[in-house]
Amino acid sequence: MKHKTTICILDDEPIVGDRLKPELEDDGYEVEVFTDSASAVRRVGETCFDIVITDLKMQGVDGMEFLDKVKERCPNSQVIMITGYATIETARESFVRGAYDFIAKPFRIGEIRDVVKKARRRVQKQQA
Amino acid sequence: MSGHISERLKKAIRWRKQRTVPLNDLFVRFQQILEQNNTALQLIADMEDKLGGEYVFDRKYLEDAVANIQEAVMRSAVNFNFICDNKHLDIYGVVEELNKQLKQELAGQIVIPSHEVILTFGEITAAMKEAVGNKAYNLSRVTTLPNADVPAGFAVTIAGFRKYLAYNNLFDRIEGLLDSTGKDGRTVEAVSQSIRLLILGGDIPPDLRRDILRAVEKICPGNPEAAFFSVRSSAVGEDGEMSFAGLHDSFLNVPFRELLASFKKVVAGLYNPAGLEYRARRQVPHTDLAMAVLYQPMVACRVAGVAYTIDPNAPSEEASLIGAGWGLGKVVVEGRAAVDTYRVSRYPPYAVIESRIGEKQWMVVLPDSARSVEVPPELRRQPCLTPEEVVRIEETVLTVERFFKRPMDIEWGLDAEGRMWILQARPLGIARGSRGRSPELKAVMERQTVLMENQGVIAYRGIGAGPVWPVDDDESLDRFPSGAVLVSRFAIPLLARVIPRASAVITDVGSPTGHMATVAREFRVPTIVDAGVATEILKAGQQVTVDAERNVVYEGRIDGLLHHQLLERASFETTYEFQLLRRLLRRIAPLTLIDPESPEFTAQGCRSFHDVLRFIHEKSTLTLAQIAEDPGFLRAHGGKRLKTEVPLNLILIDIGGGLDEGVQKAGWVLPEQIRSQPMKALWEGLGGPDTWSTRPIAADFKGLMSSITRTQSAAIAGQSLAGLNVAVLGSNYLNLSLRVGYHFTVVDACLGPQPEKNSIFFRFLGGATDITRRSRRAALLLSILEKIGFKVEGKGDLVIARSTNSTLEQGWDYLYLIGRLIGFARQLDILMTDDTSVNLYFERFMAACHMCPGGPYILKEGRR
Repeated sequence: MKHKTTICILDDEPIVGDRLKPELEDDGYEVEVFTDSASAVRRVGETCFDIVITDLKMQGVDGMEFLDKVKERCPNSQVIMITGYATIETARESFVRGAYDFIAKPFRIGEIRDVVKKARRRVQKQQA
Repeated sequence: MSGHISERLKKAIRWRKQRTVPLNDLFVRFQQILEQNNTALQLIADMEDKLGGEYVFDRKYLEDAVANIQEAVMRSAVNFNFICDNKHLDIYGVVEELNKQLKQELAGQIVIPSHEVILTFGEITAAMKEAVGNKAYNLSRVTTLPNADVPAGFAVTIAGFRKYLAYNNLFDRIEGLLDSTGKDGRTVEAVSQSIRLLILGGDIPPDLRRDILRAVEKICPGNPEAAFFSVRSSAVGEDGEMSFAGLHDSFLNVPFRELLASFKKVVAGLYNPAGLEYRARRQVPHTDLAMAVLYQPMVACRVAGVAYTIDPNAPSEEASLIGAGWGLGKVVVEGRAAVDTYRVSRYPPYAVIESRIGEKQWMVVLPDSARSVEVPPELRRQPCLTPEEVVRIEETVLTVERFFKRPMDIEWGLDAEGRMWILQARPLGIARGSRGRSPELKAVMERQTVLMENQGVIAYRGIGAGPVWPVDDDESLDRFPSGAVLVSRFAIPLLARVIPRASAVITDVGSPTGHMATVAREFRVPTIVDAGVATEILKAGQQVTVDAERNVVYEGRIDGLLHHQLLERASFETTYEFQLLRRLLRRIAPLTLIDPESPEFTAQGCRSFHDVLRFIHEKSTLTLAQIAEDPGFLRAHGGKRLKTEVPLNLILIDIGGGLDEGVQKAGWVLPEQIRSQPMKALWEGLGGPDTWSTRPIAADFKGLMSSITRTQSAAIAGQSLAGLNVAVLGSNYLNLSLRVGYHFTVVDACLGPQPEKNSIFFRFLGGATDITRRSRRAALLLSILEKIGFKVEGKGDLVIARSTNSTLEQGWDYLYLIGRLIGFARQLDILMTDDTSVNLYFERFMAACHMCPGGPYILKEGRR
């Protein structure tokens, strides 16, 4: 059986994971959801996800730090940043640090599905 | 009337003496009000868009959005008081109160305003579930659906419940008793008994007593003393996701004299032992306990029963179950005697798959609902329902299911006249999964022909299926069949009328923040707007499935997908954030202040931020118009007369970019020197050659009406010269107040390249004739404005039309048409001698503007 593309979602607001998980699973992804960054960091230490979706502003380890940790351990993971504080600066900084794309909250489900689809193509290209 | 005007002039002069604020400062403030109002309205529309389920938003978004709206409203209020010389300081108190309620809601407290002690079905809105409890809430939603009659009713809300406890000092005593459970061997039964005795021994506060009796009279006009009622518990959570169903007491067939005592009995039922134990197991905090009470008159049913929209034992078999018995539904609900059972296909033509006719021995009939009586022998083996009645019931209960997006358990009844009533509606207790689409379902869908994919924007998420029904004229709108997929070129407010009957909506053009999308969300109809090509691709009568979750339209009906929505996926609407959004919007979005002439049109009458914005807009526009009414005063401040053949004494004031720069010195301007976009558009219509012809009606009509025409038009021309008319112009702004004849017209418009900043407001009032003719004219104007795409409101001779977010081209057309309409309407009331004239003049206006009389109501290309 073909390997399913894996996704890790980290957002301290549970609603984000609750809404995204079933949608992305319908698209055929394997999805894990975290609401605290410590356990997400732990999990990323165990396994590399193909795609990581993370909030930027959180208690504890924030999204930018999490991005660094993911990229350090799993350079091939495609990281999508989501945040309610959308500014050009933060977007630029996250790109410099290796983020794949950046989405401002609130976002349409269709919008994030498209970004995830593009990220999957990138992952598949790398694997090929 | 002239006395009225001179009074206004005096006022304006007085005002000038009192204040020395430069006119320009006033206009700057006024423009800021317009900008802030627009910003706030845009933010409100954005929040409402989130109700569609397509967005993922969190708490932080809600906090930010509320804060941004609050800021815009507050700034608008400050500027407003600057303009009107602090005459409306009370608006701050209203804003503060709304701010307080929003803060409480955001902190997780449910706020029920104290004036909402009693709410009739018509007053209950989508955000009031926590105020009236699930039973009353569900039925109130059913009342809004087509073809579903519900007996009139009202709820004594949670606020009424709390009022009762507070009046009798019961809060602490109940709390103490609840805490004592288990201590010193006090059983749940003993505690329950003590609390219920306390409640039954209380007094109903006099104002609550009066309000209940008044509401009873409202739902049962005439002779309520002789009527019988059902008085039922409507607890928060009951009949909802958490099922308290059946735990609380309800009373049927209650005579008038026992209505108040029944209130206490139902409230006491909240603390019965079963309820207390159930909540203890579920760890529902006692402080959250509250009970609303639902009152309705009894319906004398000839036949009644229960319908399950899906057979709970065989959910995949696409069948509903209908149980029916003679008389009241009690026999069927209690399941203690033989009845008829029908298995019915869930899809048209709703064939009966199987019917089992029971030997019906017992029935319950009014007036004595406590006792069963024998069914007459000749009726015992006779089916209770005709095939036509089965179809009617099935169609209605599926409409209810489509709204709730859950399999439903519905109590229904047919009275002696054959009228069908919905008596109860609650989600059927089938456990809902949270599974994604199964591989089998995906395989089925992959085989299905895709007609459209990723065209347009989802305005309300969900799945709908049915035959395509294109709406492109009046006839297709009037004949819209229940359950069809509505396909239309434009997302115009006019469609709102049939949306509750649609299983899905697709439009080529339109915005998820428009009025039609708001209505679709209110009725939970899956909707895609701005899809571009739907009217070309989808053919009338073609069966389609609209997947407004993935934005795909399939050919044919995909039962598995419809099932998935009903049974597998919890609706996004059950999430906390969504419900909070809805409760917040209740203080923000509803517009209840409509008629500026009504005594409630005050700061204190504002129930939401939208009301506040409306109030500020209306009052500041009028204040400015009053200030600007003295022509000499105006000329001193740069007002210029418009030089035109048209009999209008129109003064233009430029507040920036509204007129050619070359006109500084002269006291007058020519129409071609106008630079203001909205004024140019309006003038194209208002100053057009046909608009002001002294002959108000076309040549073929002349013979019939010539005598009236001659005399009236001369008089009208004279009147309009005397009018005092002012237009305030900016490059993208127009505020026009016209007194033509005896009519008072206001147009307030922003028009530029950015649709989100565009808005048009039109108000028309007054006339020289009696109220009947003026109202006829108002009806005509409303129907024209609605047909061409405005959201309209009217009362008596008042006409209000609004449009937001139009493109430059569309807004231009709207203003052009309003210009023509102003000229067209100026003497209509005199001519509109009977009701048929409304249709006649409607056709005439549409023809004069080169629009097809049957629709679609758009201006023909190449007009300009």
